[in-house]
Amino acid sequence: MAYNVKEEGNIAIVYLDGEIDMDVTEKAKELIMPLIEAKKEVHLNLKDVQYMDSSGISVLIESHQKAMELGTKVILKEISKSVLKVIMMAKLEQILNLE
Amino acid sequence: MNLTESKVFLVNSGSLKDVRIFSRDVFEKINLNNELKEELVLAIAEAAQNIVKHAYAGVEDTNDKMQIKISVNNEKLEIGFFDKGKPVEENNIQHRNIDDVKPGGLGTFFIKQIMDEVVFKKDQKKWVNHLVLTKNLSNN
Repeated sequence: MAYNVKEEGNIAIVYLDGEIDMDVTEKAKELIMPLIEAKKEVHLNLKDVQYMDSSGISVLIESHQKAMELGTKVILKEISKSVLKVIMMAKLEQILNLE
Repeated sequence: MNLTESKVFLVNSGSLKDVRIFSRDVFEKINLNNELKEELVLAIAEAAQNIVKHAYAGVEDTNDKMQIKISVNNEKLEIGFFDKGKPVEENNIQHRNIDDVKPGGLGTFFIKQIMDEVVFKKDQKKWVNHLVLTKNLSNN
């Protein structure tokens, strides 16, 4: 998994690239959680994520819940078809912020 | 088309990418639509992840191997998983309530959504656990 972060004011845009599985979830959390803890609005751009498994979905849930707890939000942007399918399989399309 | 392919992987999270590569390579040889192929790859990777996460829970480093065997016979897909981890208690294999949104507990849910049958067999002397996932491909 590769990534790139751009910060614009209070918004952090995180571009993730590659396949997100159990092997990279810690790395993903270490990237995303400090931004949420800094109360940034986090935009996760998933257009280049070709694969995500249940571990990746867990990172999305954990990030979303942490953001809500801290009064900010995580928005999923440009979600790739394969990731959207897994989000829908987990019945999370009404729970997570999808744009 | 009839086909059987198997491969052995080290039991660790770094192997999951290789599991997906192996699965995609095998499914390339079968005439399946891409969406179904990726669903099957997800089911296989989730089952392999369960071995790493649950059968080997608490084991930091191991040289143990797991084997994955993919067979297609008369449009019936059978995927076998063999490992030497802690014996699986089939009654403990439950996914979480899908409406109780929290991290974790989704892998088994995905597997059950994708596959027709999920069965632990007690037929192996060489291995400890033998999970078999099956799917009838003629409906797809």
